[in-house]
Amino acid sequence: MTVVIDALMYLGYVLIFPGFLFCFLAGMLLCGIDRKLVAKMQKRVGPPVLQPFYDFFKLCGKETIVPDAAEGICFMFAPLLGLAALVVIQLFIPVFGFTAISGMADIVVILYLLLIPAVSIILGGAASGSPYAGVGLSREMVTIISCELPLVLVLLAVAKTVGDAMGTGLCFSLRGIAEYQAANGSLICRISMLPAAAAMLLIIPGETGNHPFDAAEAETEICEGLLAEYSGAPLAVFKLSHAVKMLTLTSLFAALFLGGLGTGMVVLDALLLFVICAVLTALTISFVHAVTARLKIEQIFKYYWTVVTLLAAVSLVLAWYGL
Amino acid sequence: MFKRLIEESTEKSPWLFHINAGSCNGCDIELVSILTPRYDAERLGFKLAGSPRHADIVVVTGPVTKQSLPRVLRTIAQVPEPRCIVTMGSCPQSGNVFRGSYSIAGPLSKYVPVDVDVAGCAPKPEAIIDGLALAAKMLREKRGQKK
Repeated sequence: MTVVIDALMYLGYVLIFPGFLFCFLAGMLLCGIDRKLVAKMQKRVGPPVLQPFYDFFKLCGKETIVPDAAEGICFMFAPLLGLAALVVIQLFIPVFGFTAISGMADIVVILYLLLIPAVSIILGGAASGSPYAGVGLSREMVTIISCELPLVLVLLAVAKTVGDAMGTGLCFSLRGIAEYQAANGSLICRISMLPAAAAMLLIIPGETGNHPFDAAEAETEICEGLLAEYSGAPLAVFKLSHAVKMLTLTSLFAALFLGGLGTGMVVLDALLLFVICAVLTALTISFVHAVTARLKIEQIFKYYWTVVTLLAAVSLVLAWYGL
Repeated sequence: MFKRLIEESTEKSPWLFHINAGSCNGCDIELVSILTPRYDAERLGFKLAGSPRHADIVVVTGPVTKQSLPRVLRTIAQVPEPRCIVTMGSCPQSGNVFRGSYSIAGPLSKYVPVDVDVAGCAPKPEAIIDGLALAAKMLREKRGQKK
């Protein structure tokens, strides 16, 4: 009997709360809020907040063209792979006190899983056989590599701070980090964590491939790059993955630096998480989008491996000295 | 219910793809002006797509020169159904001042079914938005007829 209830609970986790339904609704809303805010910052009226939903359902109703040069199966299933990986990450990230699947996941797993959406878009683009996708592919890989180094340093700094307090050296467990913050207050209140938090905020638009760092999908330059040949439902799934990625990264920030704010009630916590995610999206994605122009790929690389890496490294050194 | 949702969304999220078929660049600049803060067509869901595969509405400017005709037809063929073709400016409709020139293959309606014509040289932004909104309505009808 308990086995059945457990199975049903896990099914609910995967399909409803931190899983597909929540990701779909929250991600799309974040994307809509982002577009509205960018429009407001440019003194426009802007699309309705529900616009990403309209875009998604419209794309679902369009014809799906598979080009002759494309590798059919890989072309059609790559988008699903990326979306599935993002939903799995969402299951691992604690919503303050609540985690869907807690015991077995740590930061390193999330680091690996965060790569899969990017790999899936590269796979799909490569399978489409378009020269534009070829250019986009190399740029996407450089963008991933640029973001990865500072992200690892940020995670190490967090793991060292929490690990020192718990006496385990390095604490990679997300549950451990959540529990530490519930007991000692949010990590962002510590001086050593401030540069890491800043670095993480700068990593968010790069990881999601948003405006100044969207050289891989430059629509005016290389016809949306990796997505050039996609149409219909697979394109809709890629757009959805992009929206969910915004949710994933902002909620990862909330889990790493803003833990311990929860009220203990799951529904309220979920709402609070969504509000935090929306604020972070406005700060890191919309605002940056409205005030910057697209960077060249070598500028992206240089920026992440100097400024952002330096911030993260400073934080790591401070954490090592126990500040 | 799902079918109605898709139809409604089709009308509310028309993405544009712009083809220059030998235009003088006047209409091209006018088309971009509808996305500026003053007219802001994005409030109706319009968005310029980078690839014809993502588009719902194809906007053709210019008198369709002999050189550009095969490319225009090929690009339009790449747009997935349901799609609308909108000509912008007088050139793709009649040839405008280029009519009778040895290098002109237009009007466009000789080669593909055109859904909406927006006349003018160049048309006013209000007229463009009106024409595109009409095309968005037609997209919904086309989607409804399909199934």
